[in-house]
Amino acid sequence: MTDELELLHSANPFTADGPFYGDGPLDHHAERRLNRLLHERRSGRRRLLWSLVAGAAVVATVFTLLLGGPSGTPAVAAPRPLVVQANSTPVSLKQLAALAAAVAADGTPVLRKGTHVQSWSLGMSDDKPPVTIPEERIVRWNADDSHTERVVEDGHVLKETTYPPSWSDVPPEARPPHDVAGLRAYLQETAYSKTPLTTPELLAAVGELLDHWTLGARESAALARLLAGADGLRPVGEVTDRLGRRGEAYVYRQSGSRLMLIMDPATGAVLGMESTFTKDQPEYGVEAGDVMDYSAWTR
Amino acid sequence: MSNDEIFAAAYREHYWAVSRYVARRLDGRSGEVEEVVAEVFTVAWRRRADLPPVPLPWLYGVARNCLANAVRGYGRRRRLVHRLGNDESAHGRQVAAGPDAEAPGSWVHEALSRLSSADQEVLRLTAWEELGVEEVAVVLGCGVRAAAMRLHRARRRLRAEIDRLSVVAGGMP
Repeated sequence: MTDELELLHSANPFTADGPFYGDGPLDHHAERRLNRLLHERRSGRRRLLWSLVAGAAVVATVFTLLLGGPSGTPAVAAPRPLVVQANSTPVSLKQLAALAAAVAADGTPVLRKGTHVQSWSLGMSDDKPPVTIPEERIVRWNADDSHTERVVEDGHVLKETTYPPSWSDVPPEARPPHDVAGLRAYLQETAYSKTPLTTPELLAAVGELLDHWTLGARESAALARLLAGADGLRPVGEVTDRLGRRGEAYVYRQSGSRLMLIMDPATGAVLGMESTFTKDQPEYGVEAGDVMDYSAWTR
Repeated sequence: MSNDEIFAAAYREHYWAVSRYVARRLDGRSGEVEEVVAEVFTVAWRRRADLPPVPLPWLYGVARNCLANAVRGYGRRRRLVHRLGNDESAHGRQVAAGPDAEAPGSWVHEALSRLSSADQEVLRLTAWEELGVEEVAVVLGCGVRAAAMRLHRARRRLRAEIDRLSVVAGGMP
């Protein structure tokens, strides 16, 4: 009789020389994660936000809105969800994409590495209060490929770090293309996906992209076209975004949460994203309408 | 070599072995596998000063905890996160094996699945991760003799399940 261990051994579902997870050099994603660990990036938080929304992993902060009051003391209250203006006529993403293409005719502004994002997210640790103060993150790249990251909270520079020169040909550090097909593939790679992205995955990948790059007009135009082709994004009308800017909102409903994409009606660029719980979940301490997280990007 | 360099070398050398460990226990759900592996190495990074000279069994031990956490959830809010994520990713993202997609040796998997999770783990570590009993002890966090005894008992139980299945199937393949 064949030894039971031998039988089990021969039924090994993944082997070192097999087609899946076989030994060999690291793939792009593994390499990227290693780099992130070695440079002590915020990979933990990014991954959490990713799975949190199953989609829009973007965090925006508008501390002016939240810190309110002349006293300047931070009001540590959860943000209220953005309200769509009643009676506003929604603009379709297709129209916005056409506008973005027209605006991109002269190629300016151009793509720039780095970001300026304001973000807020519901705290996820069980033993700390759920609301955290929004933060502003500014990343600027220098001519020698080093970059500086500044984190501002409540008007104070929390941290300013300069990283040594680095190069990467892997999204989202790599330069994004400005054609739709190329951008689609780029975002798919950003999302670690081997298959076309669902809308929530697409929005999350876009958030990652915008956390690394300030798009030029051509990239924004390609992105707008890509978003116009995404399933389930419903135009709902005009909103005032977290930075007080006029925006057009598009909503994607999931079970338990709602993702909102905010676009600039003048240029077709992405202004921000946010996600909101849509059901009471008392066992988790959240109510319908509670904001999960938001991000707003500026140039 | 600095701790950072030692970590990077261990990462490169063992990344796929750890991935296989996780994939074997997650039925190869590729999105989740990468997530859990990332978590394993994040934990390992934070504890890189403790990385043993032969790191793989230790890494498997970390992976075992991360897997348990991934399934159980770190806490209320993370379980919510997990649920929201799964609601969206459950539809059509996992390739379902049809009834005629019988992988060779799947009956052995069936026999294995009838054992307790503790028995399954000691058998998998021995037969799939191909660890010796001292290494199994490191992963399970028990003494070598305890590991040897667990393996001995688990083998007997697997044998019994295999015999049961082969009687039903009408003979050994």
